[in-house]
Order: sequence, then structure tokens, then C-alpha cells
Amino acid sequence: MEHATPPAAAAAGVTATVDLSPAAANLGGAQLLPCVIRQNAAAPVSDYFKPRSTGVEVEGVKVEEAFFRGRKLQGATLALPDGYRGYVLEKKSGEKDTQNSDGEFSSFVSRAEFQSITYWNHDVTPSAEDSIPRCFHWLTVANAMHKPVTAEELSNISALQNQDN
Amino acid sequence: MAAAAPEWATKEPCLMGIDEAGRGPVLGPMVYGCMYCARSYNNTLATLKFADSKTLKEEQREELFESLKVNSCIGWEVDVICPKDLSAKMLKKSKVNLNEISHNSAMGLVRKVLDMGVLLAEVYIDTVGDPEKYRIKLAEKFPGIKFVVAKKADSLYPVVSGASIVAKVTRDRALRNWVFDETALNMHMKTGSGYPGDPDTKQWLEDHKHPVFGFPTLVRFSWGTCTPFFKDAVEVTWETDELDEDATNSGTAKRQVKLSSLGFTGFKRKTEEIESSGKGRCKFFQARKLELVRKF
Repeated sequence: MEHATPPAAAAAGVTATVDLSPAAANLGGAQLLPCVIRQNAAAPVSDYFKPRSTGVEVEGVKVEEAFFRGRKLQGATLALPDGYRGYVLEKKSGEKDTQNSDGEFSSFVSRAEFQSITYWNHDVTPSAEDSIPRCFHWLTVANAMHKPVTAEELSNISALQNQDN
Repeated sequence: MAAAAPEWATKEPCLMGIDEAGRGPVLGPMVYGCMYCARSYNNTLATLKFADSKTLKEEQREELFESLKVNSCIGWEVDVICPKDLSAKMLKKSKVNLNEISHNSAMGLVRKVLDMGVLLAEVYIDTVGDPEKYRIKLAEKFPGIKFVVAKKADSLYPVVSGASIVAKVTRDRALRNWVFDETALNMHMKTGSGYPGDPDTKQWLEDHKHPVFGFPTLVRFSWGTCTPFFKDAVEVTWETDELDEDATNSGTAKRQVKLSSLGFTGFKRKTEEIESSGKGRCKFFQARKLELVRKF
């Protein structure tokens, strides 16, 4: 079992454990719809939700098409970057922990895994300007921010500063 | 890739009738059909017994359709609008109503026939909405063609009766040969007429409803007939609808729809937290709708 305690969350006094060990079903891709379906249960997605390629490509984004509840959705598939994996987590209930001010202890267990996300827009052609693909920018930024600085980089910076002076 | 018109149609002024089938039913495609012939052929046409398709039996319509297909003095075209396109257009953010879809389909047929090179002089068409307004719309779009827009045009003009047979037979065949997109088990095509009063249609809707997906895409989701079936279904809230409400309530559509306000994270927050979240975060996060979730 792996325990992940993000530093930010720990600072705020919240602890969560995520158990990624169960051999989860591999979904391949996850679908992100522009709506909330107020049900928490399995559904026969592959029997009813039938995405197809439109053959249209807008600025490198391959547009897909699907229908849900009578609405036409246009979507695009984003592969998760190298080093990242997607999980469908289920919250385990009933466990108490005194660390949390609300007396609630969050514990999750993985139920499925995915390597890509297809996000769907209603009425709008997907583009690189959509917020979902732009969210991935954070991964690059986070990486740059948290990556340890090497001695070489440090000496390069000081060399540059010396030049400026 | 328009086919070429028959030679007579490019030399002699022609009459054309346009009619629709399947405008009202809750399921299946809506079909617009047209039939045209040389003006000089109109009297002969009147003897071919193309009565209004609704007064004919299915076998009679099939027979008449086959006979007009082999009649070298007659030309015809169809526009099949599948139910998922009807639903999608009527449920768009900027909704397209059925009259507009119908008008566009009819005008599309006129355009198609003109592009084939047919010398259209007069077009007869069953009305959708106000006949005079519709006539003006058509006349402005296609100057030089005489449009006759009338109620029950299908029983008044033989070319329209012919067009109604073309449309009706095409729709019936489309339903007979319907291949479901869906792969759910136990689906069938005993749909009845598609009108809410038809017990077969009611039973079909009952048999094919699904709490999450609603219905197969054979159904026109935008029809009032579906509404009672959605009462028991799982509630679905659309981001685009939420944005609309926001725009009317607060005069801005820019507010983010938060998963928490949609009850997604399953963690109820205090009102002040909902109102303040997002504020003070740098633009990078705001633009990407990235929110720091501390409790989940």
C-alpha cells in the first residue's frame, strides 16, 4: 500500500491516503463529459456512448463526435504525459481520524486506471485553447518548479549574473 | 457531387413539388422529398394516381414509388435528417427550431435540383408555419422561381402528392432498415407510428428507456413525448445550461462552474468558501480552471 500525503494538504491539516495497489481494470481512456450525471454507479457506457472520428482536424486537434442525451458532443483525446497515470478512485467511508478537524479521514482506493482522457464540449469545437488541454501546462510548470536545481545550472546562473554586472 | 439532370429538365421549364414525412413522430428521421417534371407533363402526371401518401396503404406507396423511379419523365430527390441531428440542433446552445430545420431542408432540395441544372419555373410546397411568410422567404432566396405555398398542398397538387410518396417511402424504408448505433441487448423496431397516442410507441419507449443514457439515438430527445420518461431518469446538469443561467442572473458568463457547486466532490463547503475560492489565485490557475482542493 502506498500512502500519499501531499505537502500542501498536510499543511492544511488534512490527511488522505490513496491505495493504488488493487489490480484495477484498465479503461484505456476516460471520458470527460461537459455535464454532471447525478448518479454514482456503473453504466453500460460502451453500449450507448459511441464516439467516432470526424476526420476533421483543427490546428492539430483531431475532432471526435459523440451523442449523449440527444446533444451532440465534440471531443478530443489527450494522452497523459510520460510519467503520469490516471486513476479512478473510490472513497472508503466510515474511517475516522482525529487529525482532521472535521473528524473525517479520507481514504481512497483505486478502481480503474487510464492512460488518456477524451474531453467533450457541447456545441464548441475542441481546440488547444480549451481549459482541459491547458491544465496540462501545469505539469510542465510544476516540474520546472520542483525539479532539484543542479550545480551546473547554478553556476550557469551566476555566470549570467556576472556578465550583467 | 450533384448528378446531372435529365436532358428534358434542362430544356423545358419544370414544376416541382416538395413534401415531408415524419415531422411529428418522436423517433426516426424526418425526410424531405421532391419530385419534378416538365410543365407539359403535368396533365399526364395528374392521371398517375399520386394521391396524398397518407391516404394510401404502404404497399400502394411502395408500388407508386417504384413506378415513378422508372418513369423517365420524372425526377426526384430526398433529404434525410436523422433523429440525432434533429435532437442535436434543437438542443444546441442556440437552439434551431423544427420549422427552421424544415425550411432549410426544403431550400436545400431546391438548391440541389437547381445545381443539377434543372430549369425550375414553379415550386409547390406544403406549408410549415405561416404560408405567406414562408413564400416570401423562399422567393427571396430563389428569385425567378414561382413558389406556391399552401396548406394540404399534397392533396391539391399532383407533384406534391408525388413528393409526399417519395418522402414517406424513404422514411418507412429507413425505419425498416434501421441499424442501431447502440449495442444494448433486446432492442427492437416495433415502434408504432411514433406518435404519443400509439400504444406500440409508448411500449417501445418504455422498452428502450435507460436511466443514464435516456434512449437510443433513434429517438428525438427534444420531443415533449420524451419528457415523462426523463422524470425517473438520472438527473443530468449541463455546463452550457449553467452558464446560461449565470449569464442571466449576474450578467456574466465568465464565472466558472465549479465541480463543488455541482455536487461533484461530495464535500459540502461553507458558502463563504465557495464564494471566495478562485479569488486571489493567479491568472494561470484561473484561466485553466485549476482549483486547489484541500478537502475531499
